[in-house]
Amino acid sequence: MVLGSTPVSGTNVILELTAGTLCCNIGDKCQRGRTLQEEIMYRLLFRTVYTARNSSVSVYESCVLPAKCNKATAPVSRVANGGGIKALSTSSVRFCEKKNDDTPSNQDQKTNADKEADPTETPTLVTQKAEDASNVINMVEQREEEPVLLKTDDGSTTQQQVDVKIEQVVATPQQGKTDAAKSGKESLLDLLGAMKVEVTNKRKLKNLKVKPSYESTPKSKPAAMESTISMFQKATVEASSQSETLDPELVAAASAAASTLPDRSQAESELLRQLRQHEGVTEAQKKGDMNNLGVIIADMKVGKNPNRQNARPANQIRFDEDGRGYTHDRGITAELDSVRRRKNLFSGKRLNVFSPTTDEDGVESAVARPTLWDMDYANQLSLSTNQTPRNGLEEMIQWTKEGKMWQYPINNEAGLEEETSVPFHEHILLGKHLEEGFPRQGPVRHFMELVVAGMSRNPYLTVQQKQDHISWFRDYFHQKEEVLKEADVYLN
Amino acid sequence: MVSPSQKPPVCNNMAAPGRHVGHYIQRNSRFLIHNFEQLWGHRSFGWTPALRQQVAEANEESTGTIVIPRKKTWSKEAVLEALASTVSRDPTAYSYQFQDDPYLSPRTSSEFKLYSLSQESGRSAAKFFVNSNSKFFTKDFAEPHIPCLMPETVSLLLEEQSEEALKERINLRKVTAAVDMYDQLLQAGTAVSMETTHELLDLICLYCDRDPVQEGEPQPEDMEESGEEVKKRKGRFRRASDFLRFTWRENNNAERIFNLLPERDTRCYSALIRGMVKHGAYAKAFSMYTDMLNNRMTADVHIFNALMSAAPDVRDKYNERWDLIAELLNQMSQQKVQPNLLTFNSVLKALRRCGSLAKTQALHTLNEMKAVGIAPSLASFDHILAVFSKAGGFVSSPASSGQGNTDILQEVMSELAGTSFTCQDPNDVLFFSSAMRICLDNKDLELGYKVHSLVEQGENWRLLGDPYQQSIYYGRFFNLLCMMEHIDVVLKWYRRLIPSLYYPNPQGLRDLLQALDTDSRLDLLPTIWKDIRTLGHDNKSDLVEELLTLMARDRHGPEVQEAFAVCALDVKSVFDGDRGRHSLEWSTSALSHITSLLLRANKSQQAWEMLQLFKTKNRVPEEGLLEDFLSMYHSAGSSQRAVELVQLSASFCLSATPRLAKRTLAEFNLTEEQRAVLSELESTEEPSD
Repeated sequence: MVLGSTPVSGTNVILELTAGTLCCNIGDKCQRGRTLQEEIMYRLLFRTVYTARNSSVSVYESCVLPAKCNKATAPVSRVANGGGIKALSTSSVRFCEKKNDDTPSNQDQKTNADKEADPTETPTLVTQKAEDASNVINMVEQREEEPVLLKTDDGSTTQQQVDVKIEQVVATPQQGKTDAAKSGKESLLDLLGAMKVEVTNKRKLKNLKVKPSYESTPKSKPAAMESTISMFQKATVEASSQSETLDPELVAAASAAASTLPDRSQAESELLRQLRQHEGVTEAQKKGDMNNLGVIIADMKVGKNPNRQNARPANQIRFDEDGRGYTHDRGITAELDSVRRRKNLFSGKRLNVFSPTTDEDGVESAVARPTLWDMDYANQLSLSTNQTPRNGLEEMIQWTKEGKMWQYPINNEAGLEEETSVPFHEHILLGKHLEEGFPRQGPVRHFMELVVAGMSRNPYLTVQQKQDHISWFRDYFHQKEEVLKEADVYLN
Repeated sequence: MVSPSQKPPVCNNMAAPGRHVGHYIQRNSRFLIHNFEQLWGHRSFGWTPALRQQVAEANEESTGTIVIPRKKTWSKEAVLEALASTVSRDPTAYSYQFQDDPYLSPRTSSEFKLYSLSQESGRSAAKFFVNSNSKFFTKDFAEPHIPCLMPETVSLLLEEQSEEALKERINLRKVTAAVDMYDQLLQAGTAVSMETTHELLDLICLYCDRDPVQEGEPQPEDMEESGEEVKKRKGRFRRASDFLRFTWRENNNAERIFNLLPERDTRCYSALIRGMVKHGAYAKAFSMYTDMLNNRMTADVHIFNALMSAAPDVRDKYNERWDLIAELLNQMSQQKVQPNLLTFNSVLKALRRCGSLAKTQALHTLNEMKAVGIAPSLASFDHILAVFSKAGGFVSSPASSGQGNTDILQEVMSELAGTSFTCQDPNDVLFFSSAMRICLDNKDLELGYKVHSLVEQGENWRLLGDPYQQSIYYGRFFNLLCMMEHIDVVLKWYRRLIPSLYYPNPQGLRDLLQALDTDSRLDLLPTIWKDIRTLGHDNKSDLVEELLTLMARDRHGPEVQEAFAVCALDVKSVFDGDRGRHSLEWSTSALSHITSLLLRANKSQQAWEMLQLFKTKNRVPEEGLLEDFLSMYHSAGSSQRAVELVQLSASFCLSATPRLAKRTLAEFNLTEEQRAVLSELESTEEPSD
């Protein structure tokens, strides 16, 4: 998400970052108080999120979507990164705290505002200001509306401009609190990832016994952080100078125009690029890299750039508080990753050795008698899986398979073991058995037809039994041939 | 009320409910419930003819043409399967196999092992008895006849020299007898048919020219050589015959018979090569294969599968190994042999030993499987996971390897989600536990839940493997939960899994204790202690110590302290109980923890008894503990006890005795006599200090 933003936002990130870390270093006491407050806010935010989280679908994922559209605009991502710093400074300390529910949530957001604003101020001043600023979230919203701040924020090293900014904040209070908070935390995660915060395991920290770890952890961090910061600062210089050349009103107009378009972020970045190119013509000698930057901005697409800020950091974060922070991070990365890797697992090259199978081969192998190897293999398979039944019914299934149990009828032919292969007409159409050995007509024939008709309705005899029955009569009548002849009844 | 889209079979087909149940249960139990509701809904109003007709008409209108459904054939277990699918697992009950006898309900994993194995061995003993005394079991009670209840013939009936006798010996898997018979037949000049020769070679090669251990028979002497291995793996539930490894001997009967054959076909080669690979003669297998090619014969798929799995053993370098495999694959396609699942699984398995090469090639192989139209089994994915975790470990830092691991597992899980599997490869059963290991290593709870939901899908739980594998899997899952999840959720899982599916080991319980500690739910400790006792882990001293430490660390509310004290007394009774060599040794910390727990619950008498125990067990109480005692006696106003305490402390030669004496003198109302005793103690100890 950070990627989608312009370099302008990049500069702000850095500045705010330095601010945040400086606060970390200088105002130690003040910092601790603040982080405490911040921690409380996070608790609250987490709690609101928590109910949904149980289903293992991180709320973040849903939050990300609305946030994304705004993402690419410079102001928002800047604010979001501000949030990132905050979390950075607090994450190490946060777990030390136990729950304090009754503190209002917006206090710490104020402190957040200070940190963004003024690295040079003394801690007392900071808190003073904090009270002035009503709500950092409001400020977020406001910045989105008025890109004027692009400029003021760049100059945030000077105190005057900072004051201006905060006044503005007070002047235009806005709503949309939750939205901004979410986006703030998202890029919090991104930023944290980019900094490679050391992996902290819950258990290890726990063993440190909560209270003492207060001091040890924050101290260890800045060293690592500052290196990243200095790296960023280099990049910042060019970018900031460039952004200053734009008239804030122009930028505001551009973003306003862009917001009417469906793809807002891209539209705005394109508009801004256009503006900058115009100005770049006049001041070409100073900013040789202007066009390059414009090209870069134009080419940027949300979520496309796999290196640096997006892909790596997301998974590398291992900060931990009570396990929650981490899983949230997972939620976002899971989404990003799924976008990335859909192509991955089955989309690469293949060995290109075989051609797809035809069905004949399969049939052929199925016909062949199972060899000893096959039996051994089947045995291995059955041994390796868990075959124990879980309930009485499953046990009965097993018995049925082993042939120990009466089978539950599944159709009306249950119990026809002997007769399964005999078609029904063998049972019904018995007349053909009368062709041989019986007279064509006369009382014997009549009698036998009655016998056959009766048997054809008897379901309890097998076909063999029926045939035997008929042949018994055949033999009988042949034996009694004499008697029949006497009675003028002929067999043939 | 009845919409056209609702299918008429629901109302007028008797078989419909069963079919729906059977169909849906495969997919999702939630669907099942939903479906049942739907069914009942229909039942209540769906039986009137008018309504039925209406539905039928509506259906005709919507379809227009009549489609005659294909005949559905039902397996004989269909009814039972439908019924069984309605029964869900009861987490409060013991495993079904133990429900015959409540006395034999296993409470610990060792009991589980004992009972399930004895059940199994009882069955085999009965079978052995019936088979070996078949003359006494001639009466056939069952009508219709049940073949599996009758004794099987296990002894040879045909004595004369004939191919029939040879076949009988082969069917009964009497290797040596079969070889003898074959030799006699050859000497007599009788020709043996090719089919029988194939079977004979198969038999000899499968069992490596030895008589297999017959099921239920006393095991022969040569088992001893594998005794050590048996001991090493005694945690497993494997049959002893499974890991008997015989090595292929030079010129054994298989090779001898093979060489004597006038003509050899692919099947003969196949038997030999598979036997050689199975029994470790890899190089020989390859030379046999070359021999076969020289005789201008084509191999079958089994030969290739065997060779593929042997490939890493005949080459040393990673790239040479892969080259060999690739060559074999190419030869396969040249000889127009279609690969099967096992082919690719053995390629992937071989790739596990191909180092850094493996990562790319494994993915290529997977894509090849897809292209050829063979669905990968769990074993394929298991190999891929292993390939990625291993390769990452060698090449880059552990952090990034873990990263690659979850990435690939994430992909695999998104591929597999919602599928139910049947076992197609013996290695399938390793997938779940290794997937959960990756989740645990990377502390990825989200992914862990995904893996577990896959396990709960359909019959997938059967692929968790034998009880040993299963306990590994659940152990890892529970460990992950304890580490990452909120304690309420952990306890929910705890009740679901334990003990019906999983008997936690001491480490698992310690994880649980830590999770309780993290989320400040120490008040649950007494219930956990009860479970610990039930699970038979109350003799693990470090676990008991940890429990006591957690209980004694902080002060809690009076009810909790009361419960803790009761629990502590219970722990004490475990210490006191004599259980042979497994009984616990009192340690100082355990003694003082229990004592202080009792003190906090104002059980002064029991606490005092504990103090006596210090003496009998030759342990020395800490000073703070005695101070606590003094404070309690002070609030209770029992000066006599206080004096006794100081005397006790003196008898331990504690350096704190004078201080205690001083404090007693200062705070308590003492008689002259007591004062004298105390001041003596106070003074006498001072110099020695």
